[in-house]
Amino acid sequence: MDFFGNLMVGFSVTFQPINLSFCFLGVFVGTMIGVLPGIGPVGTMAILLPVTYGIPPTTAIIMLAGIYYGAQYGGSTTSILVNIPGEAASVVTCLDGYQMALQGRAGRALGIAAFGSFIAGTFGVIGLQALAPPLVSVALRFGPPEYFSLMTLGFVILTYLAQKSMAKALMMAGVGILLGVIGLDTMTGMPRFTFNIPELLDGVGLAPLAMGLFGISEILLNIERKIKQELLTTKVKGLLPTLEDWGRSIWAILRGTAVGFFLGILPGGGAVLGSFVSYAVEKRVSRHPEKFGTGMIEGVAAPEAANNSAAQGAFIPLLTLGIPANVVMAILLGALMIHGITPGPMLLKEHPDLFWGVISSMYVGNAMLLVLNLPLIGLWVQLLRVPYPILFPLILFICLIGSYLINNSTVDVALMLFFGVVGYLMRKFEYEPAPLVLAFVLSPLLENALRQSLILSDGSFTIFFLRPISGGCLVLAAVLLMTSVLPFIGKRREKILKKGEEDE
Amino acid sequence: MKAERVGSLFWLAAGLISTYGSVQLGLGKFREPGSGFFPFLAGCFISLMAMIVFFQSFLRGREVQAKLSSLWEGLRWRRPIEIGLLTLGYILALERLGFLLTGFLLLFVILKGVERVSWGKAILIPVLTLGVSYLLFNVFLKATLPKGVFGF
Repeated sequence: MDFFGNLMVGFSVTFQPINLSFCFLGVFVGTMIGVLPGIGPVGTMAILLPVTYGIPPTTAIIMLAGIYYGAQYGGSTTSILVNIPGEAASVVTCLDGYQMALQGRAGRALGIAAFGSFIAGTFGVIGLQALAPPLVSVALRFGPPEYFSLMTLGFVILTYLAQKSMAKALMMAGVGILLGVIGLDTMTGMPRFTFNIPELLDGVGLAPLAMGLFGISEILLNIERKIKQELLTTKVKGLLPTLEDWGRSIWAILRGTAVGFFLGILPGGGAVLGSFVSYAVEKRVSRHPEKFGTGMIEGVAAPEAANNSAAQGAFIPLLTLGIPANVVMAILLGALMIHGITPGPMLLKEHPDLFWGVISSMYVGNAMLLVLNLPLIGLWVQLLRVPYPILFPLILFICLIGSYLINNSTVDVALMLFFGVVGYLMRKFEYEPAPLVLAFVLSPLLENALRQSLILSDGSFTIFFLRPISGGCLVLAAVLLMTSVLPFIGKRREKILKKGEEDE
Repeated sequence: MKAERVGSLFWLAAGLISTYGSVQLGLGKFREPGSGFFPFLAGCFISLMAMIVFFQSFLRGREVQAKLSSLWEGLRWRRPIEIGLLTLGYILALERLGFLLTGFLLLFVILKGVERVSWGKAILIPVLTLGVSYLLFNVFLKATLPKGVFGF
C-alpha cells in the first residue's frame, strides 16, 4: 500500500468518534500538565494507564501519545510566561522566551512556539510515516541475538547521554532489570523475589513504579522547597507572529525539526537533547550569536520545533523494533503489552489499524493543539495561577486512586508510595530514574532474548558476536563504554553535560 | 560521611543480596539458563557499578562532594515525612473507612494541617475533588472504589 493509502487507513481509524474524543482528551491533558509545573508526561501517562484498561488498545495509545506530544506544546507556556519550564524539554525556551515576555512580546513568543511546534510535529509525523515501513522490513531479519545486542546498545547510549554519572545510570538500569524479573519466571514457572506476597506473583506493575518514581517523588521534592510562582501581569496579546518574525524563524524551525527528529530516534535522546542541540545549532549559524539569551525569536522557534519533532521521531524504534527510545515510550510499550500487543516489526502486519491509526492521529492531534494553544492561551495562563500547595494534594490524590484501580488492591498503592520514597532518595543522591524504568520495561524482553540465544547456540556466547548486526551493535556499545572511560573523552563528555546543566 | 559513598554502599548491599538470592533460585547451565541466571547477572552488574561509584568518590576532590546532611540543608525536610506518613495512613484506612471518607480526611489534613489554607478552601477543595472523582470513576468508568464499614 502506498503512502496515501496508508494515510487513508489511518484517518479512517482516527476519525472514529471514540478515537477522536480520546485524542482530544490526550492533547488537552498533555497541554495542561505541560503548563503545570511539578507533574510531567511520564507521571501523567502512568496515572492514566489504569484508565486505558477498559478502552480499545488503539484508542488507549492515541490518548497516551497525545499526552506526550501535547506536553511539549504546553511546556513552552510556563517557560515564556514565568521562566519556569513546564517540561525538561522546554528548559532552553526560557532563555529567550522569557526575555521576549519581559519586553512585551510574550504573545509573539507563544505564537511562534505554537506554530513552530505544529510545523515540526507535522513534519515529524511525515518522517515517521516514511521511515517506519522500510525499517520494519530490516527489523524482520532480527532474531533473539540481534534483539539482545540492540537493547544492550540502547542502554549504553541512554546511559552515555545521562545527565550525571554514567556508572550511576548503568547501575539504575541494572536495578530496573532486577525489578523486572520479580514474579513468576515465564519459562520455569518459579516465583522470583516475591517474598511470599501473592500480589507480586504477576510482577511489579509499571503504573505503581512509574507513578511512584516520577509522580510521588516529584511531589516530595517540591514540597520541601519554596516554589515561587511569578506570573506576568501584562495581558498576553498579538499571538500571530509578524512577517519579520516568520522570516527570522522559518529556517530555525526547519533546522530544529530535522535535528529534533533524528535525535528523537536515538535511545535516550528524545525531546530534551533535541531542544538543547537545536539551540546550540541556531547560535552557531546566527550572525549575532551574542544576542541569544536577550529575546531572540529564533531561540524560541528552534528548540520548540525540535522538542516536538523529537517526540514524533521517538516513536520509530518503538513501532518498528519494539524498543522504546525513552521512558515515555517505555510506558507506551507497557500499555501495548497490557493490551496483549507486542510492538515490533510484526505490529505493522498484525495491527495495521493501530499502527497507521496512531500515526494519523498525530496529524489531527497537532491541529487540535494549535487550536488549544493559541485561542485558549488565557485558560492556560489562569491554570498557572493555581498555587502549588493546592495543586499537589490533588495530584497525590489522583495518583492514589489511579494506583488502587489497577487491581483494586492497596498493595499497588503501597508499592507506589514505596517507589515514591525510593525515587525521592534517588534524586537526592543524584540517581536518575529514567534508565531504571526503561530497563524495567525491557527486562522480560532482554531475558527472553538472552535465554533463547543461549539455547540456540547450545550455550555459546559467540552467537552474539558472529552475527553481523548483533556483533556490530555490541562493538558500538563497547566503543561507547570505552570512550566514556578514556580520560580525555570522558572529561569532554562531562564538560558538555555540565554546560547543558548550567544552561538549565 | 559523603552522600556518594552512602548511596553506593546501599546499592552494593542491594546488588550482593540479589546475587545471593539469584544463586538460591538456581543458575542452570549456559545451554539451559535457570530462573536465577539473568537476575544473577543483574545483581553482579549492580554490585560492580556500585563499587565503581564508591571508588570514584575517593578520586573526586573533597570540596565537590556533598555530605549526607547537606542534602537536606535549608530545606523543609519535615514536610515530605508528614506527607509520606499521611499517605501511609490513607493506604491503611482506605478499605476500612471507604474511598470518600479517607479521601476527604487526607485532603483536609494536608490542606488545613500542613499547608494552612483557609477553612473554606480546606473543606471546599476536598468536597469538589471527591465529587468529581466519584462521578468520573464510579459513575462514568464504573470502577469499584472501596466503600468501607459505613457503606459509602
